[in-house]
Amino acid sequence: MTALPLSAGRRRDPLLWLALGLLAFLVVLAVFAPVLTPYDPNAIDLDNRLAPFSASHWLGTDHLGRDVLSRLMAGTRVSLGSVLVIAGLVLGTGFVVGSVSGWLGGWVDSLIMRICEAFMTFPTFILAMFLTGVLGRGMTNVVLAIVLTHWAWYARITRGMVQAVKGREYIAAARLAGGSRAGIFTRHIAAPVLNQMLILATLDIGHMLLHVSGLSFLGLGIQPPTPEWGVMISDARPHFWTNPGLVILPGAMILLTVLAFNIPGDRLRDRLDPTLAEGRA
Amino acid sequence: MTNRLSLCRWCLGLIFACLVPVFRTDAGEAIVYSHFANAGPLNPHLYSPNQMYAQELVYEPLVRTGDAGDIEPALAERWSVSADGLVYTFHLRDGVVFTDGRAFDADAVVRNFDAILANRARHAWLELANKIASYRAVDDLTFELTLTAPYYPTLNDLALPRPFRFISPEAIPANGTSARGIDAPVGTGRYILAESRLGIHDRFTPNPNHWSGAPAGNDIVVKIIPDPMSRAMALETGEIDLVFGHGQISYDVFAALRRNPNFETAVSDPMGTVALAIHTGKSPTDDRRVRQALQHMVDKDAIVRGILLDSQPRADFLFAPDVPYADVGLVPYAYDPDAAGRLLDEAGWHRRGNGGFRERDGVRLAIDLVYIGNDAAHKALAETIQGQAARAGVFINLQGVEEDLFLRRQRDGDFGMIMSPTWGPPFEPHTVLGSMRLPAHADFQAQSGLPDKAGIDRDITGALESTDETDRAAAIDRVLTILHEEAVYLPIHYTCLFYAHRTSVLAGVHFAPGRTLIPFEDFRKPGSRP
Repeated sequence: MTALPLSAGRRRDPLLWLALGLLAFLVVLAVFAPVLTPYDPNAIDLDNRLAPFSASHWLGTDHLGRDVLSRLMAGTRVSLGSVLVIAGLVLGTGFVVGSVSGWLGGWVDSLIMRICEAFMTFPTFILAMFLTGVLGRGMTNVVLAIVLTHWAWYARITRGMVQAVKGREYIAAARLAGGSRAGIFTRHIAAPVLNQMLILATLDIGHMLLHVSGLSFLGLGIQPPTPEWGVMISDARPHFWTNPGLVILPGAMILLTVLAFNIPGDRLRDRLDPTLAEGRA
Repeated sequence: MTNRLSLCRWCLGLIFACLVPVFRTDAGEAIVYSHFANAGPLNPHLYSPNQMYAQELVYEPLVRTGDAGDIEPALAERWSVSADGLVYTFHLRDGVVFTDGRAFDADAVVRNFDAILANRARHAWLELANKIASYRAVDDLTFELTLTAPYYPTLNDLALPRPFRFISPEAIPANGTSARGIDAPVGTGRYILAESRLGIHDRFTPNPNHWSGAPAGNDIVVKIIPDPMSRAMALETGEIDLVFGHGQISYDVFAALRRNPNFETAVSDPMGTVALAIHTGKSPTDDRRVRQALQHMVDKDAIVRGILLDSQPRADFLFAPDVPYADVGLVPYAYDPDAAGRLLDEAGWHRRGNGGFRERDGVRLAIDLVYIGNDAAHKALAETIQGQAARAGVFINLQGVEEDLFLRRQRDGDFGMIMSPTWGPPFEPHTVLGSMRLPAHADFQAQSGLPDKAGIDRDITGALESTDETDRAAAIDRVLTILHEEAVYLPIHYTCLFYAHRTSVLAGVHFAPGRTLIPFEDFRKPGSRP
């Protein structure tokens, strides 16, 4: 994989570095959550419910007396983990299907694109809600539902890129030079297209995180007691007036995480998008 | 300048025009209540989506349940029962008219029974529907009901909010059955459904010709508010006048209102039990020791304190002790984690290492607990039980599902444990016991693994058909004792209704006997006409 050209804006873009720092922090939290949490995030202590911020519970406790800080930290693992799995699956499926469609063309292309259009007809969130309804609750099904609703977009974009690259002169030159179809595809088409798709995926991760949290908020996602930010907000709703922190804190985590993914994604697009680059030139 | 002035006037006029309807709606007259859904088509003979509180307002029974659980006259002034317990003769109240002007007489009763029993299979959960042999109008004001076998709760079943209530025969469709709907909601009750706007509100007006001759009170507007938190805010802002019932607002909000001097609040006597039904036919809960261990590992007092905020009392038995025939002198299962551990060890479920879940032959001790996912109160209970069980080494797999699926899983027995609230008066104990004999709710499936399920069903039938008070009490005693000793249910708390309203807004609010009736006719808005 080629190095991502981030270096150009290094000095002039504190926001980017803030976002990257945050991202690194979140990843550390997610990886080391079980060691770092001060309490068992699922330990219930009814006599100490809805406690305010204090030295023993830095961010207070929730309606069942569970430590909010521990749950937020453990939630990082669930949210980031699920989103990375989703992004990987969406990217993989979309790339493979889109490449086949764009590379082979003809009736295969038509068939695949019609299927994609069928998936793209519906708003993704509504379709995901429908799918979790059919598949049943649980995190695996949420991941599956989001992958099923998003792969088509990636497939379509990949196909467009493959088709565009396929017509370039250097591909014809490679063919004339006696390159095999498979060789040309992997070396001259797959690598650049995959690069672009990776950037698209980073941009989309925030959006997927909102999907995961949204479905969990509605009670369709992860099942209790596993902490997840969307579930935490949903659980805290009845206590919003007395303990607004219970809603605001997980909400802030979602906001920050989405920003932490979107800002670098945004910058990457600025660097790599050929149309934008031409505009700057 | 004049132009600008007239523009100002025009704007002011517009603002006032907008405000007028705001001031006009419901301000002085109506008592504003809220419910999670519209009243439904208000078919007196059918179930959901018809809302029971609304069926109670519009339709009346032959007899009703009184404050002490006794039977009082309603549309029947008096009645007599033959010595063999088979023939019930009702003498109907004279001068009762439906709100469409049709007289309420024995013919109307017969035509309602025709309509109900044309759909008999739908009512099979209610034993009276299975026991009716024949019925006839003896004369204009005398109705005679004959049973196939004696059935002691006949009058109780007739008092239920549905299906034995009376709609004007003119509103029963021409084919004589109400199974597919009614023409209009025309009853004899204290209220008339005046308006129903889907998702917005229902309006009930007092029936000016009600036989009680009581003075017409306020209109009732029932706003549709599905969410308890929104309802709490509506009460706070004065958009609704009162909350009344169970589950209308969260325990936390109610606890806050109790401390607020501007609000009048009250908690009723127990009206039902929130219990978990435990499947006796499925591993690992097919082992009685596991079921008994579950009873010992749940700290109900902590739940009452921490989740119910002392607004609901701890339940030790399936029925509250004041339910008829239910106080049979059993010993409650105490909170005792050590006893739970011993029972599980005896059953072969041992802890591997520290703090882990128990295992037997390499299989983890895991039990599914099914509840309605968007019911915040049940979710908090389920999560707490999960946490308490984990300490005893039992993994509780929570499954929050939507209501339809929940009811289906109750019926199909697709659960390890499932929320199984009893229905409270006037359904207890006989209707609840009766329905244990067929897979209508969780009870039948939960009990299906008991060695003598057939004996339990026989005893229930015996109790319902017995004409001898002592025999009946003895049979119910046997049933409740087996269910308790076999630990089929894990009772958590008794359900008490509560109400709350601003002291300045309403007066005369009180609970009715039974869980479904809201005695709106006694509620008054100070300042409105009497």
